[in-house]
Amino acid sequence: MKVLRAVFLVLLGLFFFIPLLAMARFAFQSVPVVLLTPEKLLEGWSVSGLIEVFGSPEFQKAAFISLQLMLLAIAITLVLLLPVAALVEIRAPQLRTAMAAITLLPWVVPPIALVVGVAATFRNTVPWFLASPYSLVPFYVLWALPFSYRAIDAGLRSIGARTLYEAARVMGASTFTIIVRVIVPNMIGAIIAASVLTAALVLGEFAFAALLLKETLPTFMAEFQRSEPRAGMALALAVMLLTALIIWIGVRALRKRGMDLQAAGV
Amino acid sequence: MRRRFDTATLAVALPFLAFVGLFLFVPTIGLAIKALTPGGSFGFTSLQRALEGSYRTAFVNSIALAVTSAVIGGVIGLLLALSLRSMQRPRWLRSTTDSWSAVASQLGGIPLAFAFIAAIGTQGIITKMLGLVGVDITESGFSLSEFWGLVVVYLYFQIPLMFLVMMPAVGGLRQTWAEAASIMGASPSRYWRSVGLPLLLPSFLGGLLLLFVNSFAAYATAYVLNPGAQIVPLLVRFLLQGNVITGEQDLAYAIILWTITLLLASLLFIAVLQRRTARWSST
Repeated sequence: MKVLRAVFLVLLGLFFFIPLLAMARFAFQSVPVVLLTPEKLLEGWSVSGLIEVFGSPEFQKAAFISLQLMLLAIAITLVLLLPVAALVEIRAPQLRTAMAAITLLPWVVPPIALVVGVAATFRNTVPWFLASPYSLVPFYVLWALPFSYRAIDAGLRSIGARTLYEAARVMGASTFTIIVRVIVPNMIGAIIAASVLTAALVLGEFAFAALLLKETLPTFMAEFQRSEPRAGMALALAVMLLTALIIWIGVRALRKRGMDLQAAGV
Repeated sequence: MRRRFDTATLAVALPFLAFVGLFLFVPTIGLAIKALTPGGSFGFTSLQRALEGSYRTAFVNSIALAVTSAVIGGVIGLLLALSLRSMQRPRWLRSTTDSWSAVASQLGGIPLAFAFIAAIGTQGIITKMLGLVGVDITESGFSLSEFWGLVVVYLYFQIPLMFLVMMPAVGGLRQTWAEAASIMGASPSRYWRSVGLPLLLPSFLGGLLLLFVNSFAAYATAYVLNPGAQIVPLLVRFLLQGNVITGEQDLAYAIILWTITLLLASLLFIAVLQRRTARWSST
């Protein structure tokens, strides 16, 4: 039984690790697989391809757009969601089920579905809206909702937001003051988690941006890999590691506060 | 009597609801209207056509892909959660798996497809290494652009997602229950049959549906591995890019309306199961 379990865990570990390793080799070793022999394993390693991508103006433009989308999506998520989540938890707990249901709906309308609806409605009525890459922001906020709301909700519950609220209220603080000066500073962990999950989503979203012909990091990556397979692979690996790093930071921030990242909706 | 909603709650809830309404409900309802009024007048012809011929094939393929990757990923994810449950010794293992699952369940998309191409694509390093020991995976009919290839790649984010879903439920199984069962003379297998698995079942089924929704909607990975695959997300792309005769947009609306209906039904089912789980674990 113990042996079986160890074998299972090792095989699973290989399944998760090998693709990354293969990716790194392809990205940084300029020896085609066909010519690769055991003697050549250490030849031709270089990161020049990746450095070159970082220098290209197209990459910088796409990365800058993605960075802006990421920050805007995080900002809007927090401004829009945090007060609602806090007040629902504090003053209208009977609405929590409704909030949980609403924030799960983006799961039902994934990017590939919503893009059709957006093309059907917005393209005719407000064509200027879809012209700018920033039009992606509200949709990214939306798809991150199942994750971001659950992170914030878990945070509110773990700090005992209602008790804090009542204590501050008794001492005469206004609702606004309580949220800004009591609730928010106490749930930095949850805020980081919500931001991290939103950031990961923005860094990975491809369908919506591609179909609306917007040049973001993922769409640039797909295009670029076609002309420069090696450097494209290196870039993909870099983005993957960056995503992993961002989420890792979130997990660490949560664990410090005795919480865990919640899977969406479950 | 207390008022149900006070003004402050309303004041912050309204912008939020307006946001969701404008960017989620308006496009979705607009889409539903278009799907139900093909060519300008009310009718079900688009909806009907969306389930015929090659479109039907796409739905069948997508559902098969989603079910297969959900079931395999679900079972492996559950086994992973169970095998880590009682392990104390390498202390890093549990926390690394937790963090890694959080990361991997969010990966996917373009980079993940690239990673698998580099590993087990036709020119992949693993393909080559297996070839050296006499195993030819392309000869055996395996290809990343075919059904099982997509399943293998999807497992990369399905397994960790299931692990994250099952971990709380598996952690909720108390050691005392197993002891109580064994004192009353139950064998370990009897304990799992009568106590353990029934308790895990609602979360497991909920997790399966979540995985189903997750892979049904996946687009980027499949797009890289096989842009011509006959699955729903890629079919929508084909119809939307206007590579077909005019008027086929109606068909895209209808296909999406079916997709949304399917996903919504799955989600409602999850909610029902969730309620059952909550009832079980709170007693």
